Amino acid sequence: MRVEQPLSLTALARAGFTDLDAVRGRLAEFEAACGLAAPDALALFRAAADPDAAIERALGLLRRDPDRFGRAFADAAVARRLVRVIGASQGLADFLQRRPGEVDALRHPISAPFDAAFARTDLLEAVGADPADDAPVAALVEEEGWAALRVRYRRRLLQLADYDLGQEDPVAGLDAVAACLADLAGAVLEASLAVARATARGTGPGRFAEQRVADTRLAILGMGKAGARELNYVSDVDVIFVCEGDVDVATRLAVLTMRGADAPAVEPGLWQVDANLRPEGKDGALVRTLASHLAYYERWAQTWEFQALLKARPLAGDAELGARYVSALAPQVWSSSQRDGFVESVQRMRERVLDHIAPADVDYELKLGPGGLRDIEFTVQLLQLVHGYTDERVRQRATLDALAALVAGGYVGREPGARLDRDYRTLRLMEHRLQLERLSRTHLMPRDERRQRVLARATGLAVGAAALVAEWQGIKRTVRGLHEQLFYRPLLSAVAALSPADRLTGERALSPQQAQARLAAIGFRDPRGALAHLAALTEGVSRAATIQRTLLPVLLQWLSEGADPDYGLLTFRRLSEDLGSSHWFLRMLRDSSGAAQRLSRLISGSRFVGELLGALPEAVAWLDSDEDLRPRPRRVLEEERDAVLARHETADAVAQALRSARRREVLRLAFAGILGVITIDELARGLTDIVDVLLEGVLAALRRERRGSEPHGFRFAVIAMGRYGGRELGFGSDADVMYVYRSADGAGGPEALRLAAEISRLTADPRLPLDLDAGLRPEGRNGPLARSLEAYAAYYARWSLTWEAQALLRARGAAGDRHLIADFEALADRTRYPETFGPAELREVRRIKARVESERLPQGADPARHLKLGRGSLSDVEWYVQLLQLQHAARIPALRTTSTLEALAAEVEAGLVPEDDAQRLRAAWLFASRARSAMTLWTARTSDVLPSDRTALDGVARLMEYPPRSAARLEEDYLAVTRRARAVFERGFYGDGSA
Amino acid sequence: MDKQRDFVLRTIEERGVKFVRLWFTDVVGTLKSVALAPAEVEGAFTEGLGFDGSAIEGLTRAYESDLLAHPDPTTFQILPWRGEIDPTARMFCDITTPDGEPAVADPRNVLKRTLEKAAEAGFTFYTHPEIEFYLLKSAHFGEDGPEPVDSAGYFDNVPGGTAHDFRRRAVRMLEDLGISVEFSHHEVGPGQNEIDLRYADALTTADNIMTFRTVVKEVAIEQGVYATFMPKPLSGHPGSGMHTHMSLFEGDTNAFFEAGAEYQLSRTARKFIAGLLRHGPEISAVTNQFVNSYKRLWSGDEAPSYVSWGHNNRSALVRVPLYKPSKGQSARVEYRAIDSAANPYLAYALLLAAGLKGVQEDYELPAEATEDVWALTDAERRALGYEALPYNLDHAIALMEESELVAETLGEQVLQNVIRNKRHEWAEYRAQVTPYELRANLEIL
Repeated sequence: MRVEQPLSLTALARAGFTDLDAVRGRLAEFEAACGLAAPDALALFRAAADPDAAIERALGLLRRDPDRFGRAFADAAVARRLVRVIGASQGLADFLQRRPGEVDALRHPISAPFDAAFARTDLLEAVGADPADDAPVAALVEEEGWAALRVRYRRRLLQLADYDLGQEDPVAGLDAVAACLADLAGAVLEASLAVARATARGTGPGRFAEQRVADTRLAILGMGKAGARELNYVSDVDVIFVCEGDVDVATRLAVLTMRGADAPAVEPGLWQVDANLRPEGKDGALVRTLASHLAYYERWAQTWEFQALLKARPLAGDAELGARYVSALAPQVWSSSQRDGFVESVQRMRERVLDHIAPADVDYELKLGPGGLRDIEFTVQLLQLVHGYTDERVRQRATLDALAALVAGGYVGREPGARLDRDYRTLRLMEHRLQLERLSRTHLMPRDERRQRVLARATGLAVGAAALVAEWQGIKRTVRGLHEQLFYRPLLSAVAALSPADRLTGERALSPQQAQARLAAIGFRDPRGALAHLAALTEGVSRAATIQRTLLPVLLQWLSEGADPDYGLLTFRRLSEDLGSSHWFLRMLRDSSGAAQRLSRLISGSRFVGELLGALPEAVAWLDSDEDLRPRPRRVLEEERDAVLARHETADAVAQALRSARRREVLRLAFAGILGVITIDELARGLTDIVDVLLEGVLAALRRERRGSEPHGFRFAVIAMGRYGGRELGFGSDADVMYVYRSADGAGGPEALRLAAEISRLTADPRLPLDLDAGLRPEGRNGPLARSLEAYAAYYARWSLTWEAQALLRARGAAGDRHLIADFEALADRTRYPETFGPAELREVRRIKARVESERLPQGADPARHLKLGRGSLSDVEWYVQLLQLQHAARIPALRTTSTLEALAAEVEAGLVPEDDAQRLRAAWLFASRARSAMTLWTARTSDVLPSDRTALDGVARLMEYPPRSAARLEEDYLAVTRRARAVFERGFYGDGSA
Repeated sequence: MDKQRDFVLRTIEERGVKFVRLWFTDVVGTLKSVALAPAEVEGAFTEGLGFDGSAIEGLTRAYESDLLAHPDPTTFQILPWRGEIDPTARMFCDITTPDGEPAVADPRNVLKRTLEKAAEAGFTFYTHPEIEFYLLKSAHFGEDGPEPVDSAGYFDNVPGGTAHDFRRRAVRMLEDLGISVEFSHHEVGPGQNEIDLRYADALTTADNIMTFRTVVKEVAIEQGVYATFMPKPLSGHPGSGMHTHMSLFEGDTNAFFEAGAEYQLSRTARKFIAGLLRHGPEISAVTNQFVNSYKRLWSGDEAPSYVSWGHNNRSALVRVPLYKPSKGQSARVEYRAIDSAANPYLAYALLLAAGLKGVQEDYELPAEATEDVWALTDAERRALGYEALPYNLDHAIALMEESELVAETLGEQVLQNVIRNKRHEWAEYRAQVTPYELRANLEIL
């Protein structure tokens, strides 16, 4: 037969076909097979999600069994359902290919999803078992039984899919379908257990006496989505087996039951049965008695295992035993928030919510990607765990039920709750339709437009591929913000008055106790105090309070990721009180999430920053711009210094301006250092420049004041020593200095001493101490504070082998008269780069070091943990480098540098230190330097001993860019790195005499 | 785990156990014990048992004195020597800090960690020690040193000996404790005995060694004699070694076996031996941890002094024993330096780490020693490349300090504790004026 009037391509396209040329031929073939003319056929297929596939599959079925399917297509109602199902599911079309007879199921459409009782009866009857029996035994055994139950399951799936696809509003009907899928899965296990009972009876391996089988009680608990009655079309069914009686028999029954569902056979398996949530996971016994389960959970289980129990429900088998399991364990699930390690496990869970382990298909993930189903499920579960301890109403299994209960309990706002409910259903619907297509376990959004279009048609969510993707992107965006929305925002409702809009929608507030439970769960050590801060911040109806209410939820989340959230929140409150009325502060934080996140990280991780911010709150503004976080170049600092000198007359005024400039720039460097936008090298140089410029400015101002009254020809300079001389300052480092002068009449002494004292006075800063330490001068604390150049020359000529002379290796002119500095450095060169350095000198330097090691370490300090004088730490590396400088710098000019690391590099270059050794020394020096800086940043106090308190170590470790909770690792790393350096040091420094 | 725990709690009830001793070991390998009443055992399983760790050598940093002992229920045993009047049981413990981190210096944890590393590479580690010890008349000794029980070489003469002889009693007790043994009384040294423990995974073996030492000491007390595991108690007689046979399994197959290869030794075995040889000297301060240990190593007899390996060569550090080619599963290598006073947890962790390093970094196995290494001259040994083991504890400490392998395996803090402890010992020893000096010098100087 020929198609009388060829259909226009437009008509075909309008019906939803894409492969237009091919369709004409297929329509002709279809008419030939079942007699339905093209216009009617077109009307039939346009209702399919994928009309092209539908007609192809229809033709396939007609070829398989022309009679049966011919009759089916001839009946308009059956044809409509058949096309609807095969147009959305290749998997069900394949099933009909295998079992054409089952098409008659579509003659009996269902008007509502099957209920659990029907499913159980139906599946049991399929295997010839008596549903009235408490422990039914099938008439069929092994594969025969499996085939029977699988075919019956798929027959019901066919009807359910037909119902589902025909729903007016599949989004609203989603939970009923998901619940039915879970009931069907339970019925499958029930029937499979009946087959297992029949199979396990008798004699031979794996068989037991009939009475033994009959006496064994086995309950199958559903976990995960099966337990929560929110199953997908195809996903693993998580179960746990509990028995009473003979464990061997029960184990055999369990194994057979699982096989009935998933073992390969003529009729393919349905889905995997996964029993790995059982105690001890894969390694544990498959089946346990109830007592054994209880004992395990009482004593051994981890917090996450309780979280898994949240969804447990008797699914099949002995109902009474299953019920006892649930009622015995439920109390433990809900008291898990009182267990040790709960906060940590909540934090880990939160990390899982936030940092997705990005799968390769992250952009196409409906489930695991950012804004996916998993986000919603975790967030809801987290809230349940936090509040379920005190509020029984939120103890729901299914995500949607739990969400509804959380809304009803006032833990989640009505509006966000409703939106979330819809988003969750929508994502699940997409997942359902995708799985239905191939009856496979997938949660990937298709990548090609054609399949996206099919999904759009199958879900009815949108017209066309682009609109569907846009809808999905929108959902992902909302869901991503959801965690903050649901978890943190309600915290404010506990302390703040509800907005009029909230009141209108009937929102309710968290009680203070509920809010404190939440704060404690995310790591606040003083939740009551934190709540008080929140109250203070959001009090009132001012614009600031309004912005705070938007800002704080997300800020709280970031603060709780730091090592010290309590301090962070306190600092934020102080900042807000200082700056809250300024126009930019809150607006910037609200509009720039980068700035807000940076601020949270800084104030929850560093007291040093917190305290300096107290004096300089405006600095928060820098956080919005990377440029402002860069260290100011030396030139810019100098320009500011000159401007200050020009602007202010007295030295006191100049010094005050420059001190505050120093605080500002140090804070900038602290920001940059913690946020990791500058290298450790830049940091050290930056900190050094700041001190240089301060000293230059103060000295210039002092001398300007004294102009005319100074002795004739008076010249003066400040010499930087130690780390300061090496331009290697860290946070909390002292600045070592010496003062030198010259005067024509040799009577400059009193003037120089006065200057030195004034410099000390004017640079001292209680808010950010600058310790100008002149202890490295000749004769140390006993020597005069300032000496003339000649006096230095005489001293070093006489005592060329002292620690004072060695200290000159890092002497560098920092401020003052250029000529005098040049002369001093020339003098220093003669001492520090001696022409001859023989065995006697070598021995002397070693002796001094040995003495320093034993004398300078404070009483009771553990040498392994002392960053400055300890084993293999700063001073070991510095002495090692300096000894080689003393020996070889006269001959090798490249060694003449005040920087430890530069000198070390030059020593490698000159072949004096093997590269391997140098690497170990460098690693220890850098590690100890960074740890010292980090300790100062953490506590705002300087210390030379690695802390032993775990919280402090954790805080320091985070500042050194370790992941959270790395206290032990930091400690091990430090000990290892310094041990290696010490070995190099001992060999090279004390060594065999040839160092 | 919980099955075992249930078994423990049930047995305590059924057998009317009156005390449960929780055992753990300090860095030196001394057994420490805390006794619990049965009612407290359940709590110890759940929460761990708190104790003050600062009192115990090397177990803590000074400020970290609160520790928890978590009994391992798989190690539960009724102690047979306590008799049936007040039945006493014991379990070994893992030690953690209150926040659940393993205590830095728990030797059992060091071994567990190393076994886990091996497991990541797919290996399980089995050991089988031959433990030698002396039976003395008493712990007190006179001018001529300790007095062995049986200078005649036989046991019946034990003063105060009863109808039970030592051997029967000890074997019986060990077997009651689930430790299968092979016992031999040999006459190399008067009063010297050897007991071989059966093959087991290294953690079980180490636990068994600790138990074994206690049993032997207990039985000796019962019999009115004194047992010592001191490496070299009598200067004229051989020391007490703990030759240990080792093998790696991959699943069910012995990874040391390769049919048809030389001595049936697989590549893995050859690399493993190479690792033992290269790192042997630097782990000596643990395998031979006392001043006295080096008296054994450098007195000839059965103890190796040089780094070499050989097939059935009793002078070699590592010996490849003869076994029937049909018995591939029993392929193994024997490390002969380790002595009976070693801390078995740390020593086995290091032996495993050394061997594994050889396997993982593909060390080349040097040529086999076919001759008696002791009989060679120094020049010959140098020419053949047989390095010496450390001459004394001081030398051993120096080598250990340079060792990355030891630091990695023990962890920085255990290493520090061990070094501090050993340095102290060496310093004390050096300050002694020995009978030898008095004898040799006093009269003529």
